[in-house]
Amino acid sequence: MKRPNLIRLDFVAPVHESRATGLVLIVLGVVAVLGLAAAFNAELSERDRLEAKLDAVPRVKRSAPITDPKLTAELGSIQHELNIPWTPVLNELESANHDLADSVSVLSVVPDAEKHTVRVVAEVRQLPDALKYLERLQKSDLLRYPMLESHERRKDDPEHPIRIKLSADWRS
Amino acid sequence: MLPLWRDEVVVYLAPHRVALTRLKRGLRSRIIASRQCDVANGSVGNPAASFACLTDLLTDSQWQNASARVILADSWVRYGLVPAPAVTLDADGRLSHARYVLADIFGDSLAEWTVTLTDVPPGKPYLACATPEPLRAELEGVLSSAQLRLTSLQPQLVVSFNAWRRQLPTDECWFVSIDEGSLAAVQVVDGIWNRVHTARLSAQWTVELQRLRAFGRFTEASSGGSRLFVDAPLNMRTQGREALPELDWLEPDARLSRVPEFDLLQRVAV
Repeated sequence: MKRPNLIRLDFVAPVHESRATGLVLIVLGVVAVLGLAAAFNAELSERDRLEAKLDAVPRVKRSAPITDPKLTAELGSIQHELNIPWTPVLNELESANHDLADSVSVLSVVPDAEKHTVRVVAEVRQLPDALKYLERLQKSDLLRYPMLESHERRKDDPEHPIRIKLSADWRS
Repeated sequence: MLPLWRDEVVVYLAPHRVALTRLKRGLRSRIIASRQCDVANGSVGNPAASFACLTDLLTDSQWQNASARVILADSWVRYGLVPAPAVTLDADGRLSHARYVLADIFGDSLAEWTVTLTDVPPGKPYLACATPEPLRAELEGVLSSAQLRLTSLQPQLVVSFNAWRRQLPTDECWFVSIDEGSLAAVQVVDGIWNRVHTARLSAQWTVELQRLRAFGRFTEASSGGSRLFVDAPLNMRTQGREALPELDWLEPDARLSRVPEFDLLQRVAV
């Protein structure tokens, strides 16, 4: 048994919508949206504040110091190896050969990280080609003091090429 | 002015009487003017007299430029309880079903009437209510000429029932709303409308109440005699209490007098 319900019947106003309930829902909705917007804004501000704080902190790499001499030496060696400007040196040698219409055949390139030098073994048909190659390398910004250390005609080869050995320092 | 804060004029329109109340809207509505007039030569079949009276009242500027809520006397309304359909119907289907039920009760004379329904959950019976379409059109015309916008049109029985419902018992009872020349009654069982009944009243109107009580005895669901609550104008209430003291004659209290439309229905004298 229960109390009679309110009879919602109207010839004009829609009966399936309660104006009071609708208004309350609208107000609640608006309040919820405003609350969410305020919370979102607060979160954004907090994120910006934290990012600014993070940016202000100096970034220091924290790692344990290496005390083992053997390891230190190995690390230094690796460091030297990594410091070799391989790509620019090879580009420079290739570029020089290209400028001389590929008259030089580079057989080997051996860097010496300790001395900052590179040794090049190549073959040419004639000695003037070797000298032109040397002049071209002397104009390089990357290499300095390129020198022709030796030259030797290969008699065992049917075409008798001249094998040359060059050395140069590279600029760090 | 915001629509929510627009003043509201509540109109009670009956064959024999027209009453107006103007409400000042705000956080708490308050009545700022009230007026009523008896309709000379008014009858159920002659609503033009009531409209002429309303038009005359509305010429006063204090009743103009507001929203209008109208309570229509039961003389111009037909009620029918529509059983829950076996299948799920959309709004148009429910309306067609209701028209079929009303035509079954009142005949085809209601074909041109406006029908509206209560909003109930699916699977529940609902109340259908009809009023003449020309009457509504005439009402809108009269109101618009006074810059009044019709926002609600409700029948007297529904307004009266809603005002009194909290004072009705929870099990089974009859609720009757009467005015000069008309009676509308509803049998309420467990809070749900079970039957609805309308009748014209003669000068010996208490006889119709006795008939209704006898009818109620035959139709009541419980074995005990269900009570019959009557909402009536003051003079009819006094007369009725003397003739039928066994009925429950509803007396308004301060709480109900705060409901403006109910205040209108308490209709000082006929």
